[in-house]
Amino acid sequence: MKLTRYENEMLDGRHSEAKRLAMSGLVQLGEAVDAPDMVEIGYAHVHPGMALYAKDVELMEDLANLGMKMAVPASANVINADLENWQQTGAPEALVRLQARVISVHQRMECGSALSCTPYWAGHWPTWNTHMTSLESGVTIFCNSVLGAKSNRDGFFALYAGATGRYPRFGYHLDENRIGSLLVHVDAPLENTGDFSALGYHVGKIVGSGVPVFTGFSQRPSLDDMDALGATLATAGGVTLFIVPGVTPPYASVGQAFGGRKPKAEITVTIKDLAAIYDSFGDGSETFDMVHLGCPHASYEEMKAYANLLRGRKVHGNVDLWVTTSRAIRDRARDSGFVAAIEETGGKVIADTCPIECHFIRTGSPDPSLGVVPSGIKAMVVDSAKQAKYARDMIFCKTLFTSPEFAVESAVTGRFVRRYGART
Amino acid sequence: MIAKANARTREIEGRSIVRGKASGPALVSQAPISFLGDLDITTGRIVGKVPGVEGRNLKGTVLVLPDSMGSAGAWRFLYQLFVHGNHPVAIVSQIMPDPSLIQGAILANIPIVCEASEDVVQAIKDGEHVEVDTEGPRAVIRVTGPA
Repeated sequence: MKLTRYENEMLDGRHSEAKRLAMSGLVQLGEAVDAPDMVEIGYAHVHPGMALYAKDVELMEDLANLGMKMAVPASANVINADLENWQQTGAPEALVRLQARVISVHQRMECGSALSCTPYWAGHWPTWNTHMTSLESGVTIFCNSVLGAKSNRDGFFALYAGATGRYPRFGYHLDENRIGSLLVHVDAPLENTGDFSALGYHVGKIVGSGVPVFTGFSQRPSLDDMDALGATLATAGGVTLFIVPGVTPPYASVGQAFGGRKPKAEITVTIKDLAAIYDSFGDGSETFDMVHLGCPHASYEEMKAYANLLRGRKVHGNVDLWVTTSRAIRDRARDSGFVAAIEETGGKVIADTCPIECHFIRTGSPDPSLGVVPSGIKAMVVDSAKQAKYARDMIFCKTLFTSPEFAVESAVTGRFVRRYGART
Repeated sequence: MIAKANARTREIEGRSIVRGKASGPALVSQAPISFLGDLDITTGRIVGKVPGVEGRNLKGTVLVLPDSMGSAGAWRFLYQLFVHGNHPVAIVSQIMPDPSLIQGAILANIPIVCEASEDVVQAIKDGEHVEVDTEGPRAVIRVTGPA
């Protein structure tokens, strides 16, 4: 692998032990994937240190003690507790105390504590052609497909990339891989972010790790629509980039999205396909004890929409309602009165974490001394197919998927409101 | 340790993905394994419905498999298996794993070999003693059958 003088100096330990460690890992990765050299990155969304995984907060503290600092703008992903409202969530105090130690780690590393899976709504907004890394696949797909940045679906080494400003040149850092593989004709009315979420889930299952190109939208998708679509493409499939010609930079046309060649495969998506995704969760029983809104973490516009749907109403007595967002958006939503509108209904506005990343998760490995016990949640209504899958697979609870409006309606009435009425 | 001269020892070449040296009994899965969902961190057991190996324990084994899944979260599960002492000591995968799994293996110092000269899930029998040496760019897998 060809390295610059500065990269070799980092590898030789002439800058800091932390940079040596990070560069050594990145070079091993680069050699494994036959990368010719490194790219200079402009942003990193990194691992925050998670209290529900043994010795994970300590791992981050060790790196901070080595002197690791972010060389480029950086944000940290979701953590395992809402550090402000943890009592509302029923989190064990020992877990929260351990988790809170990451804030000083981020300060020492000079890394933004976005503590969110949507750091872009909190202001981390890389632009066209910026090479970057992210350990959260939802951030990767949003930055690739909405902003035109260049990112792989990454893991822990997003942190090493942030510490060195470098990342091996492979995958979606190469323009030759940023070409469509499947043309998707959308022949269905998309009326809310739930519908975009269902569309992404359907197409993700078909396209696998390919690059879908979408046509046929009746209007330009909103940023929230694009966010919902990307999150489920990355969940149901291994999608890293999707292209909406005219929206995704720099693709102006379908032809450009396929590099001037004819698409090798095409599909048409109808309302039946979307209905099948909505119907694919749950087991026919429609009872539930929790409603979750805000997967991925809600934007300011989504907080406004949830507040407007809930204002002046009351959440049903048998239902726990969570709206999850980032701490930055919660502050702005508080200033605008949205948090009060949601809390007056009996709902909770939770930041830093979410149902599948907090103490509800059953697939973690917390130290027994933290006192984490199974949540007892039996069924959850959600407005995102990503959460419908992960809550089912990681909390081991039943999930019911519907639109944002009908999820709110379900929370208020205590009865599940299906997206398309009776099961089709 | 069985000497290399032993007639029952044979060598397979592969591509070094994560550098290191390790040895242990082979756990051979004919089906791909997902590092996000099929494995229990706290015990090392294969809890997913992986035909033939469901219920087996990875701890201390050389895991031999055709392919792996687990996407962006795979690093965390492999690294957590290591933190709990329940990790495989080496991984021999016919197909190159995801970058995320490679990152977890580098963090945990678990050597990985892929693209071997023979189809590893056929060439290596479950329970055989396997030594993996990935110190050089060409990996050497030494397989010794039961004496």
